Amino acid sequence: MRQNGNNHYDVIVIGGGVTGAGTARDCAMRGLRTLLVERKDFTAGATGRNHGLLHSGARYAMTDQESASECIRENRILRHIASHCVEPTGGLFITLPEDDLSYQTKFIKACHRAGIIAKAIDPKEAILMEPSVNPDIIGAVTVPDGAIDPFRLTTANIMDAQLHGADIITYHEVTGFVKSQNRIEGVRLRNQSGEESTYYADVVINACGIWGMHIAKMAGVEVNMFPAKGALLIFGHRVNNVVINRCRKPADADILVPGDTISLIGTTSSRIPYEDIDKNDVTPEEVDILLREGSRLAPILSQTRILRAYSGVRPLVAADNDPSGRNISRGIVCLDHAERDGVEGFITITGGKLMTYRLMAEMATNMACRKLGKKAHCQTASTPLPGSEPSKESKRGKSHIIELGIEQKAAKGRHGTMSRYIHSHNAIDDALVCECEQVSVGEVNYAINSLHVHNLINLRRRTRMGMGTCQGEICACRAAGLLGKANNCAEKSLNDMAAFLNERWKGMYPIAWGDTLAEVQFTSWLYKGVCGLQPDKGEGINEEKEQR
Amino acid sequence: MRYDTIIIGGGLSGLCCGISLARQGQQVAIVSAGQSALHFCSGSFELYGRCENPLEGIASLPKEHPYRKMGIELTASYAEQIKDIFEAAAVKCTGEATRNHYCLTPIGVIKPVWLTLNDYARFESPDRIPWRKVALVNFEGYLDFYPQFIASGLAKYGVKSDIHSLSLTAFDNLRESSTEMRATNIARIMTGEILEQIAAYLNSHAGDAEALFLPAAFGLFDDTAVAELRAMVSLPLFFIPTMPASVPGVRTQIQLKNYFQRIGGTYLLGDNVVSGEIENGRLKSVKTANHGNMTLSADNFVIASGSFFSHGLIASQESIREPIFGLDIYADRVREEWYDKDLYSHQAYMGYGVVTDNKFRCSIDGKCIENLYAAGSILAHQNALDEGTGGGVAITTALFVADEILRSR
Repeated sequence: MRQNGNNHYDVIVIGGGVTGAGTARDCAMRGLRTLLVERKDFTAGATGRNHGLLHSGARYAMTDQESASECIRENRILRHIASHCVEPTGGLFITLPEDDLSYQTKFIKACHRAGIIAKAIDPKEAILMEPSVNPDIIGAVTVPDGAIDPFRLTTANIMDAQLHGADIITYHEVTGFVKSQNRIEGVRLRNQSGEESTYYADVVINACGIWGMHIAKMAGVEVNMFPAKGALLIFGHRVNNVVINRCRKPADADILVPGDTISLIGTTSSRIPYEDIDKNDVTPEEVDILLREGSRLAPILSQTRILRAYSGVRPLVAADNDPSGRNISRGIVCLDHAERDGVEGFITITGGKLMTYRLMAEMATNMACRKLGKKAHCQTASTPLPGSEPSKESKRGKSHIIELGIEQKAAKGRHGTMSRYIHSHNAIDDALVCECEQVSVGEVNYAINSLHVHNLINLRRRTRMGMGTCQGEICACRAAGLLGKANNCAEKSLNDMAAFLNERWKGMYPIAWGDTLAEVQFTSWLYKGVCGLQPDKGEGINEEKEQR
Repeated sequence: MRYDTIIIGGGLSGLCCGISLARQGQQVAIVSAGQSALHFCSGSFELYGRCENPLEGIASLPKEHPYRKMGIELTASYAEQIKDIFEAAAVKCTGEATRNHYCLTPIGVIKPVWLTLNDYARFESPDRIPWRKVALVNFEGYLDFYPQFIASGLAKYGVKSDIHSLSLTAFDNLRESSTEMRATNIARIMTGEILEQIAAYLNSHAGDAEALFLPAAFGLFDDTAVAELRAMVSLPLFFIPTMPASVPGVRTQIQLKNYFQRIGGTYLLGDNVVSGEIENGRLKSVKTANHGNMTLSADNFVIASGSFFSHGLIASQESIREPIFGLDIYADRVREEWYDKDLYSHQAYMGYGVVTDNKFRCSIDGKCIENLYAAGSILAHQNALDEGTGGGVAITTALFVADEILRSR
């Protein structure tokens, strides 16, 4: 439901990743009439395809001081405003016998220059702190790394944008711009059934990550981007409790991050052609590199079950005077296309990283406010997101949490203070849909009703349903049942379920051996065999091949 | 310990083979790890699901296929023989190898099958469903049964459905723990007074429905509860399989196991064969996890340890192997050849398995192990999902192997 009475807005934000969501929130909080449009689901691009690392900035300290300082500042802000999305695990930078220990001294100095507290500790102490770490380490440095859940973070930003009056439209693709002379005046959208619509705004913000290049081209401006693919592996349980980084120049598979019930190793880095940005495949070579290098950080990885492989695409932006792409920035790029290209009413915000999404949103919103002649200050650095507000409960100490069931604790972890809207405390609502991740009927219904859930993949991103060890084996059908009931359309739900299982397989086939192959054989026997499930060969489901 | 035959694997294939041998006087031991594919069975078995007459369809399968190795005549004869074994084991089902009938799956798909347990919904053809309107009854809060999907499936063939949700205080204990509402747990409490309450509900809520469909959550060990309920209900009553664990599957496994033990078989539950001693092309004995250094020896051995799911086959990052003996297998070498990127397309790995001669005898490095036979889903060159042959291959190869063993004496 749109809150705005007509099709005219102050700002239209294109892109439902964390940057777009953050920008919509910032705009709405500053009193701008805001619309966010997304061609698929929130977090379907790079936002949902990274490490989920709350960078301390230490990783960039040696190569990019500016990014390092931005990271540590945002790190501190996110711990406050997004506490329910953050796990303050701490991080280690370890030196292995084959690495140069002298790098460590330079590294610590660089961290300090950027304002990051980095402290060398005895390797023995590091092993006590994180028992899964390679016991051969010859050096260790602690840094304030952590884990952050990009799905929750995006959902919370979307929710707050809406609470401040913004409208949100998913599954609508931008097909063109309304242009009058040199001014962008609106966007043309098409939904999945092919219906077209037009929305108008004084300012349009392109927050589409790597897809922003294509959007910019539609608006008649060139932004030269270079897609850099990074592949990652998810392990079946939480191997480590502290982020483990390799203390050397950034390389393949040098960061192991714990997140919820799992651990993630990544990434590789390779340039891919722009045409391939939607492919998201992971090659056997990439899997082998990740496993080999990952096992140097934590040897147990070589014997740990792998749940999924997935990849994302970083939007690297070439400097304007360098079309070859040799001089590439990993930093934030905020382009005023009026100044740069003579196109009024159009802003591109790109580059950057998950860690700096809020800062990027602030920069883009500042620019939009300037254009609109609006004087309003950014409050996103100090106002907590929904779910992270200080609650009365937290003052009651820990006693209340003991009264909660496991599924209620899990939901509280996922939704923070918003979990008060989840129906619980009766047998029907507390029944589990997803047993791996402890997602209850109440939580599923909450997500269906409040979090823009149209299909099972949306539901997974909002709740973690189907992200556990069985990868949706039993919960797919249960959730499809609930969704079918809520939407009163059995046929659509079954097609959706077929698509969901196929999407889970996309992240499994690159690692289809051992228990993964056994598990998928069971899933296939059950759904294709016992149930006789066949994918809808007719229209097909136009869902992205999301992997995480 | 010494037996005539030792069978590795206590699923459908291992049990059928063991029963056949024990019925013909052999001392048989089955070593079973526990769960098997039967635990998510649908209440029906397939022989060949891709055409109306399974026996005719078999002729079109490639010549390495287990059915083709036995030949159509023998396959047909074993498909007939199993009925006798099932009847003796009190597994009551009907169906013909020359003509598939149709069952309802948990998501309302109408699917061709060979044998269906007697208390389950079945019809001769989807165009000739004998009811115009049925009542679909679920238990409040039970998540593994999908009346909406089934109603939608039936509607495609012109059958109307009323959906009812039955709430019973008897479920409160099960609901205490959020994972307990499963078919097998529900079936445990389906006795006496609860059956009466359900019958009363059904009789008063059926309206103008001509048949009643319930989730398969009755009769875990035998069909007593089913018979009691049916006797109290005025309308025809049928069950539709649920998502696992499957009550008809668990019941079939228990009934076959009980019968096997009744006729003198030894069923070693919760044990795994870990290694074997091979001498002069014959398997002399095996060792199990529970028996440690004590060996189990026999004249003949059958490996019916299943496919990847049951760990009869193991895939590592580099290769695929049979983990107990390192038997010769058929599989592609390169990992990328194992799978298709579309889950619903043909998956090569499903057809991997141990290679055998025409008597289903296994080999190592090309040398035949004369007294080691393979049966069921561990056999190469079958694809239960593409062909609709899962239960049929398990059953007929098991009976074939039993006869080969008896002939080999």
